[in-house]
Amino acid sequence: MKRRVFLASALTLPLLASFAGSVFAADGLTVLLPPWGTLPKEMTDRFAKDAGVTLDAQTLGWDDIRTKIITSMVAGTAPADATEVDWSWVGQFGSANWYVPLDDKIDKAVIADIPTASIFRYDGKLLAVPYSNDFRILIYNKAHLDKAGIKAAPKTPDELLAAAKAVKSAGIAEFPIGLPLSATEGTSTAWYLLTKAFGGDLFDKDFKPLFTDKDSGGYKALAFEIGALKDGLIDPAATGLKDVEVQEVFKAGKLTFDVAGWAGNLSVYSDPSKSQVANDVAAALMPSTTGKSRTFGLPEAVGIPTGAANAKAAQDFIAWLAMPQNEIAAYEALGNLPPRMSVLRTLNEQGKLKQGDVLLEQAAVVEPLIAQGTPGWYPQFSTAVASSINQAAKGQLSVDDAIAAIAKAAADAQSN
Amino acid sequence: MRSLISTLPGRIGTVLAVTLLVAWSLGPIYWSLVTSLTPPLNLLGAPSLWPQQITFEHYAKLFGATSMSQGNAVQSVWPQFSAALANSLITSILATIVTVAIAAFGAYAFVRLEFPGRDLLFVAVVATLAIPAYTVMIPLYRLMISLKLIDTYTGITLIYVSAFLPLALWLMRSVYQAMPISLEEAAWLDGAGRIYTLVHIVLPLSAPGLIASAILTFLNAWGQFMVPLVFSPTLATKPLTVLIPEFVTRNYIDFGLMNAAGILAIIPPVLLVLFLNRYLVSGLMAGATK
Amino acid sequence: MPSSYPRRNRTPGELALAAALVIPIVIVMGGLVFWPLATSVVDSFFRIDPMKPGTPFVGLANYGALMADSNVQTAWLNTLAYVAIAVVLETIGGMGAALLLNRVKHGRQWLLAITVLPWCLPPVVNAIVWMWIFNPSYGLLNHALLWLGVIDSRQVWFNDRATALFLVSLVHVWRMMPLTAVILLAALQSIPRDLYEAARLDGAGPIKSFRLVTLPLISSGLAIALSQSTVFAFNLFDEAWILSGSSLDTRSVIIQVYLTAFQNLRFSSGMALSILAMLASLLVSLIYVLRVYRETRYD
Repeated sequence: MKRRVFLASALTLPLLASFAGSVFAADGLTVLLPPWGTLPKEMTDRFAKDAGVTLDAQTLGWDDIRTKIITSMVAGTAPADATEVDWSWVGQFGSANWYVPLDDKIDKAVIADIPTASIFRYDGKLLAVPYSNDFRILIYNKAHLDKAGIKAAPKTPDELLAAAKAVKSAGIAEFPIGLPLSATEGTSTAWYLLTKAFGGDLFDKDFKPLFTDKDSGGYKALAFEIGALKDGLIDPAATGLKDVEVQEVFKAGKLTFDVAGWAGNLSVYSDPSKSQVANDVAAALMPSTTGKSRTFGLPEAVGIPTGAANAKAAQDFIAWLAMPQNEIAAYEALGNLPPRMSVLRTLNEQGKLKQGDVLLEQAAVVEPLIAQGTPGWYPQFSTAVASSINQAAKGQLSVDDAIAAIAKAAADAQSN
Repeated sequence: MRSLISTLPGRIGTVLAVTLLVAWSLGPIYWSLVTSLTPPLNLLGAPSLWPQQITFEHYAKLFGATSMSQGNAVQSVWPQFSAALANSLITSILATIVTVAIAAFGAYAFVRLEFPGRDLLFVAVVATLAIPAYTVMIPLYRLMISLKLIDTYTGITLIYVSAFLPLALWLMRSVYQAMPISLEEAAWLDGAGRIYTLVHIVLPLSAPGLIASAILTFLNAWGQFMVPLVFSPTLATKPLTVLIPEFVTRNYIDFGLMNAAGILAIIPPVLLVLFLNRYLVSGLMAGATK
Repeated sequence: MPSSYPRRNRTPGELALAAALVIPIVIVMGGLVFWPLATSVVDSFFRIDPMKPGTPFVGLANYGALMADSNVQTAWLNTLAYVAIAVVLETIGGMGAALLLNRVKHGRQWLLAITVLPWCLPPVVNAIVWMWIFNPSYGLLNHALLWLGVIDSRQVWFNDRATALFLVSLVHVWRMMPLTAVILLAALQSIPRDLYEAARLDGAGPIKSFRLVTLPLISSGLAIALSQSTVFAFNLFDEAWILSGSSLDTRSVIIQVYLTAFQNLRFSSGMALSILAMLASLLVSLIYVLRVYRETRYD
């Protein structure tokens, strides 16, 4: 009896296996994107009809897409016909020649309508076309400011601190400022943003650090973060919080400021089914010491890896994704902020964009994090930045030591 | 031993130890269950051991007609979830059957048969336990591409077998070594062949070891993440362990959904362990009468 | 290792049978493990960096650079701490669980199922469940300890390096202890019951009979259990990565491998580090495999 069961299962399982395998196997265009790039079926069906190819979408979690791309590219094969390309990978993928230049493959007028496309240029060549816009903006809880008797959103970092202190002393929020301080990428990007808010930049044109001087934007930005932590304006638990977790705390109404707010998150924050602060959330231009608000873009794009089996269909897919009606459909289904300025404006005119005027105003001043493009050593540098800030926040390093550690990390990353 | 259990302090000690073991194993899982039943907005309140308000919305997101992704209504993820569940089961069961079969027969050769390089081969195979997945991943990927085994059950199963065979082999070898050779010798004297002896005398007596190897292999395969992440790009073979983290997105950590999916993911292996365990217990009974 | 059978002359049929039984192992392990491993070992002597043209031979330069890197040194220390904590806790806990399972008469299959449950949770979910428990603001741990009066204010657990290392290890132990328990249980079940009777008749108490009967007879199981917990602890990744990212306080060697090879694209340098991790875990395992066999043999 036992043996019969064993034999039966040993025989049927491979059969089952080959059956199930054949059901899902599909020829056509394979696309590798994170969950928020996974288009609803209605859209993929429409693409299949328009382009005459079936779309085989592969979804992977955020951290894992990169592992997957690198494994297959080092092994010498394309992971899919079209894949996610994050702004932070541009230097690496560009210098490795892993992606097909798209300059002569996508309509120039479309590219001109996408300001963040410049972030995906390496050596002048366009490696990928943005499908999701993202930049940082100040998001705040207006009800907290009203209760503390503050009329307008802060315009400078000092005003931000003063407002936070007023909110705290009025007992409205225990820790009014939301900033991630864990050893994760969100911590680094928040510091880069504050560096720009203090009028600074990370590197000069030769990639020499510009943040080591005590008067530099980067130094002041880190001192601002550590000072706010010591003054009890940032939750000490922030040393363990990723950016997304800080956002959960904001949604629960426990934060006044989401300092490094994601532009695309405004629609989430103002949705009562997902947020307890839906009626109180507002956005303002990033505070700045210079009078001119600055922010940087962290868009996500689609590119075609070299050696892709179906590069032509991938090119059609990228062009199709950048059509206004598809960007709008993706915004409505997935909340991806459209990369095309014309589409953003249309959405705002139709009243579909939360805090649209501020968003558009901030979108107009979006710059790349590093003017000459994301270098190949950026990921290594950025990990070291997050670790050093995390150590400073835990009290293991002083601000001076942390800045020195970051400068050393920049030198190490570049020397390799 | 028997008298110790029947004494009162011994019995109390046993009960205490069982309670401790159950609390240690189930506590975090219970907490995961509670989280999966708590409405999202209540998750940020003070924790309570029993959810004040029970919701099945996280499960509904997995089973319902519409699902949520990053908080947006999209098509039901149930077809994906069930396909991934089937993939997890198929790859884990195939890997278990093949691994235990190879180990059961191979270990016998390492214990009872003489052949050149025997000990060296055994040590080399067992030493591969120590190889980190990253070390072999990229060459293995190249190999699988050239064999056209990416995204196939055969490919995944082969990799699992190569990863879990050393442990099963080692375990089976130690089981055979502990077994008195006299039983086999009696059979040989009766004219039974090696294979007959192995299948009809040695294997039945090794039931606890075989079941233990099966449980180890199955659970190791069930928990795999790195291998399927790279070798199972689509739902044709993608298992639950790769599907579930996709619910954590950069924009939206859905603790409720993650925990609900995790709770569902532990049901099949637990059923299997319960099922196998019946054989483990009966194997013991057989051992008791020998 | 003592041979468990008398030496005999080999028969021709025996060699053929041995070949038939062992060849599947040789094919699977040779093709899918040894060949890729050899490729990676060779790669580690070259500079393989997709961002740079060419792949020149660099000898031991990758290894030399790893020795000098302070981040790598920190990762080694962290990993050694993980291994020490995990192996000790898993062995003690797993042995306790196995002895208990071997003794319980009623509902043993349920108790075994409950014991292996932690291991069935996908690793990512496991780490997230614990992240939620350790959460400084909403976590169960803080609330429970406050309620018990052990602490008087909320703690941010991962701000202290020693605590962070311990908590990451604890999550790992929670998941991996069932493995030790199952291996030791299988070993315990192969002990003939009459040996305990004999020991009892000789006047041995439970502790003495554990030391004189149980321990020697499960020694090979114990060696397997110790080695696998060492190897898995050396490979610790998910727990530390999800609980505290790339933080230097908890960064393990395998996280460093991931960062080097898959984030910084210094591929051959990452391979070199992963090979060192492999050698280290082999070395540590070897120490107790030899010790366990030596200390517990009858002789």
